[in-house]
Amino acid sequence: MTVAEAFTPHTFLDAFGFIHHNASFLLQKTAEHLELSLAALAIALLLALPLGLWLGHRHRGLFLAVSVSSVGRALPSVALIAFGLTIFGVGFWNNTAALVVLAIPPILTNAYFAVDGVDADVVEAARGMGLSEWQILRRIELPLGLPLVVAGIRIAAIFVIATATIAAVAGGGGLGEIIVDQASYGLAGVIAGSLCVSALALLAALLLSLTLRALTPRQGPVS
Amino acid sequence: MFRARIHLTMAVAALVGLVASAGATAAAKPTVTIGNKNFTEEFVLGQLYKQALEAKGYKVLFKGSIGSSELIDAALTSGKINFYPEYTGVIVADIAKQKAPQTAAATYAAAKRFEETRGATLFSATPFYDTDSFGMLTSTAQKLGVKTIGDMKKVKSFTFAGFPECRTRITCLLGLKQVYGLTQAKFVPLASISVYTLLDEGKTTAADVFSTDPQLQGSKYTVLTDTKHVFGFQNVAPVVSKSLASAGGAAFAQIVDAVSAKLTLAAMRAMNKAVAIDKQSPAAVAGTFLKANHLK
Amino acid sequence: MIAAGGPVIPNFGQGSACERSNGWFCTDWLHAHWGDTLQPALVQHVWLSALAVGIGFAIAFALALVGFRHRLFDAGIGALADFLYTIPSLALFQLLVPFTGLTVTTVEIALVSYTLLVLYRNMAEGLRGVPADVLEAARGMGLTRTQTFLRVELPLALPAILAGLRIATVSTISVATVAAFVIPEGLGAPIFIALDQNLFKTEIVAAGGLAVALALFADGLLVLGQRAATPWSRA
Repeated sequence: MTVAEAFTPHTFLDAFGFIHHNASFLLQKTAEHLELSLAALAIALLLALPLGLWLGHRHRGLFLAVSVSSVGRALPSVALIAFGLTIFGVGFWNNTAALVVLAIPPILTNAYFAVDGVDADVVEAARGMGLSEWQILRRIELPLGLPLVVAGIRIAAIFVIATATIAAVAGGGGLGEIIVDQASYGLAGVIAGSLCVSALALLAALLLSLTLRALTPRQGPVS
Repeated sequence: MFRARIHLTMAVAALVGLVASAGATAAAKPTVTIGNKNFTEEFVLGQLYKQALEAKGYKVLFKGSIGSSELIDAALTSGKINFYPEYTGVIVADIAKQKAPQTAAATYAAAKRFEETRGATLFSATPFYDTDSFGMLTSTAQKLGVKTIGDMKKVKSFTFAGFPECRTRITCLLGLKQVYGLTQAKFVPLASISVYTLLDEGKTTAADVFSTDPQLQGSKYTVLTDTKHVFGFQNVAPVVSKSLASAGGAAFAQIVDAVSAKLTLAAMRAMNKAVAIDKQSPAAVAGTFLKANHLK
Repeated sequence: MIAAGGPVIPNFGQGSACERSNGWFCTDWLHAHWGDTLQPALVQHVWLSALAVGIGFAIAFALALVGFRHRLFDAGIGALADFLYTIPSLALFQLLVPFTGLTVTTVEIALVSYTLLVLYRNMAEGLRGVPADVLEAARGMGLTRTQTFLRVELPLALPAILAGLRIATVSTISVATVAAFVIPEGLGAPIFIALDQNLFKTEIVAAGGLAVALALFADGLLVLGQRAATPWSRA
């Protein structure tokens, strides 16, 4: 009797059985996964969001924004995680750093284009009314550019959650630990772990959509 | 046209041999689909058999780096591969889940009996054996004052790193917990990085090391004595599907056994060292060894 | 060392000082192993990626031709592509193995699935984005359906299609490194092997660097192609 079974339609049902029998274990792994993802996302937001917004406001650094986007997309996650390992050794920072590098480009680029793309006349009018640069950014450009900004954060979030799975090969723990270990958890476990990752990604996207809706002032009568 | 017909027939025969793992015609050599697990020694073993067979005119499809014993065994029984090098103790204790015998010969016999109940057979075993061992940094061993695995009982808590399948194996963590009573051991599963990385960085107290690892040659790492033989006897023997064995016949077996016979402990250690420490490729190392022994 | 009846153990030679001490960029290792490790991996990687993008493009295009005019179909395909995209690559590769074995086919099926989202959405969007009055004008000029499609809709949709192709290509090159988890092909293979060998830095830097370079190169090539094909739009 071997641990790894061949795939039968029943395997998919077994996955739900796996979830049922290992609920607390899966929850623990999901928490680890979330912890890693949130840490990386938070750091990326801290580094990239203010920078992107500011550059977009000043209409400077188009080249930087575009290059970061191109280069960022081109970075293979496995290579980054391997680089992280060789630089930081095994621990918390090797995977977090790799994920931060992956998360920065969409946040930075979208923030830049969101603010940069706001109608110049509106901004001029505001400036004419005597608003400070900071006020313009906060009250005019940011609200108008919010959908694009949040879209960038959403892309980054989904990307980070998906890539955190691969971090398991470098000791990152999380749901990836189950997915890379078919020998211990069987295909049912792999499916179960995968479903949890998908659920997490969808949840993050949903949360961000709701946040966007909450932050966008409603105009006109509510139907 | 006639020649094209012959080529086409041979190609179809090879294809049938591959797809159905059934015997090809008596005259044609069967296609061998070799798999190996995902660590240095297995890379070398896979290359050794692959190149030796190719030198004698066999077509070899190579599925390197499949993963743990459990996965590669499933690959064999489902026909995806028909040949892979395995450790006899692992077959008996972890795949067959039988009680581990007390001698290397008995382990081999039990493994062979088991494989024959599932459409496969075992070719001759190698002289060398590679057992899992309880390894740690020498400095750690001195600090804890331990010499045998049993000594670890006095350590309040410790981490033990290894391949994921180690967790559920009686020849690994399970054995440590059940036979030695080391219930305080906390398991650290590895996916792709080596145990030595974790040991060096102090991320684990002890780890599942392989007795033929070249890293164990120096004095940096220490292996604790396995007084209760939990880790078993681990000679290597190629697991071959019955259809391949019968299709290949005596000639095929002879080639494989000739390679196995040359794999002594010293030879294996030297080859592992060339790959792991001196960073040569498994293929090149295997090729050099085979040439030196006139097997290629 | 020759024992009676025992094997001849050849002298495999010692690794250089750089190799033995795990240096970041051992030129002698790179020189020795470019031909047997790095170059084959690079070639395999190019082949894996190009094949996946090519097949994905064909499938997405066929689907977009139907989807951009039929709302229900579009929603269905869009949802399917979305779902495929959220499956972690590590999991998808493993789940396909029981069906298609430890072969390039398995990897290709997964890689193609991941390209579908970007390619389909961009193509459908691009085709849908052609203004209605332009189509009217074309019809007014007497162009047939096919002529309108080839001479008006397709060129106008081209920027979106090429943008999607660019993203799909670069991300395929990236995901293809994960393929080494199931079959030892592509630039991911030397990376995984190096991770197992106590983090052999030179190999990681070389293979990882090649993967990054390949992606940037492909991206640059496609940007140039974009500019050449649609000179009226800035990439």
